[in-house]
Amino acid sequence: MTPNLADLAGCFEGVIPSIVATVSADGTPNISYLSHVVMVDEEHIALSNQFFTKTASNLRANPLATLLLVDGRDGAQFRVGVRFVGASEDGPLFERVAAQLAASSAQVGMAGVMRLRSVDLFRVEDIVAYPSPSRSASSSSAYEPDLERVAAVVDAISGQSELTAVVDATLTAIETHFRIHSAMILLGPIGGVLTTVGSLGYERSGIGSEVTLGDGVIGMAAARCQTVKVSDMSRVRRYGAAVRALSTDEDRSRSIAVPSLPDAMSQIAVPMLVQGGVQGVLFAESRERMAFGARAETGLSIVARQAALAVTLAEALSREAAPAGQATVVAAPAATAFRVDHHAFDDSVFIDGSYVIKGVAGRLLVHMLDAYVSDGRTDFTNREIRLSRDLKLPEFKDNLETRLLLLQRRLDERSLPVRLLRQGRGQIRLVLDGAPVLRKLT
Amino acid sequence: MVFIHPDLAEFIASPVMIVIGTRDRANRPDIGRGIGAWTTADATGLQIIVSAWQYGGTIDNLRSNGAAALTFVRPSDYVCYQIKGRASIGEIGPAGLALSARYIAAMSEALARLGVAPEMSGVWLASREPTLFQVTPEAVFLQTPGPGAGTALAGSP
Repeated sequence: MTPNLADLAGCFEGVIPSIVATVSADGTPNISYLSHVVMVDEEHIALSNQFFTKTASNLRANPLATLLLVDGRDGAQFRVGVRFVGASEDGPLFERVAAQLAASSAQVGMAGVMRLRSVDLFRVEDIVAYPSPSRSASSSSAYEPDLERVAAVVDAISGQSELTAVVDATLTAIETHFRIHSAMILLGPIGGVLTTVGSLGYERSGIGSEVTLGDGVIGMAAARCQTVKVSDMSRVRRYGAAVRALSTDEDRSRSIAVPSLPDAMSQIAVPMLVQGGVQGVLFAESRERMAFGARAETGLSIVARQAALAVTLAEALSREAAPAGQATVVAAPAATAFRVDHHAFDDSVFIDGSYVIKGVAGRLLVHMLDAYVSDGRTDFTNREIRLSRDLKLPEFKDNLETRLLLLQRRLDERSLPVRLLRQGRGQIRLVLDGAPVLRKLT
Repeated sequence: MVFIHPDLAEFIASPVMIVIGTRDRANRPDIGRGIGAWTTADATGLQIIVSAWQYGGTIDNLRSNGAAALTFVRPSDYVCYQIKGRASIGEIGPAGLALSARYIAAMSEALARLGVAPEMSGVWLASREPTLFQVTPEAVFLQTPGPGAGTALAGSP
């Protein structure tokens, strides 16, 4: 049986290097190793061209080339006869390959060195399986969700209206239906960073941890609006390991470490796109090699778009909240007091000496606690928060729901004596276990 | 005449992946893998063993026109050399067979240390129908990935 390109899915994961052979005008063969081979459609593949100038010049003299592709799951080898169609230096295909290349280069500490020059497009003419002395069983445990599974996840998300519920439903549903056990959702970028608002299956939740736009697989996926996938991390240095090691003491560093599987073999970061813009990143990882196959990738990209739509809608509708009712004045609770320190220079907030949060979310917390201390108020609305000048929220796209969700999760996770309760759309209640003693520090 | 530097000769004889590029009459290239290589005593020739059963196209091409490109790459750090030259099919003796067996064992072990299971590397390094060919090098290139890839080391035009 002659294999077709779709049968070679396991060859496009970048696990075992592929090889290309070309022939010069005078009949001299040339060999090059390839970092990325991309299946474009049933009849075309694309190769990333970083350095192999000999290959490029040979192709202009003789468009015939042969590839040796290896299935990363079982080692099976295929000889693929191709014909050079042309090179492109921009466009969607170029962007797709560039994103993958940039991510994997960063992982091996070669960021910038392996800059993509062009993407070379080839038409496939024939595919032959090389004889193999054995056909080893597939070592992959990739789980490929079918359409019904994808629909079940989309259904779970579309039933939610609150941001919190959207994040939770997405993570729970991909665990149930995609068998993904380590994942997180980061929203943003806000001010150039993505912030973790929900996670699944990690020792620490990492809620509030930040990834800079463009950094690692997550930052790259958001910056380029492209899915970034790594199928075998065994030979690559873990990106950001040093950063994480530095940020374990959050009381001192005022930053929260991004959760991670120390022995992850596969990672995938899918941008959450809506109306051409990025709302966040859905990230998943696994201890298995090649855990995320082509269908899982497609499935996650549908799920991420659905989640992005739900997140955007939750943010937009939060502006239409009911007006504030009568301010509820709650009798002073238990007599125990807790100390709240607000550092003005970065708006970081510490409760009884433990770091809670910083930035706009920090200002939000202090704003509400101030109102409680001066007027005994515990109920707030998005609308009045938006009107408050001292919060300095941006007028356009303030991501208030995202920031409130982040604050709510952080307070819950740290079991702090102050919590937030969402009282329906656009309404927030402060719940206190003790009397806050506010201290403003510069 | 191109001489193989002793350091390169040592590299070629170590557990490095051997890839052979050839072409047919229509200038359609083919790719095969070697299962052992060494430099001749006078440093002007290479001998390479390939499984004619697994990489039959390579042997056909070498018989037909002898144009060959060889790459030797160390998987642990991707250090890679490419040698181009004229090839002819030779006779394999007991020493060649023994060397090939040692190469397959050492290569599988080196790959296993990098996380490639022997069941997988075994798929690439079949020992059936071992066939020897010799190459007279005409040019040597450094091919390690990076901006220096393709630098001519000897004999290039």
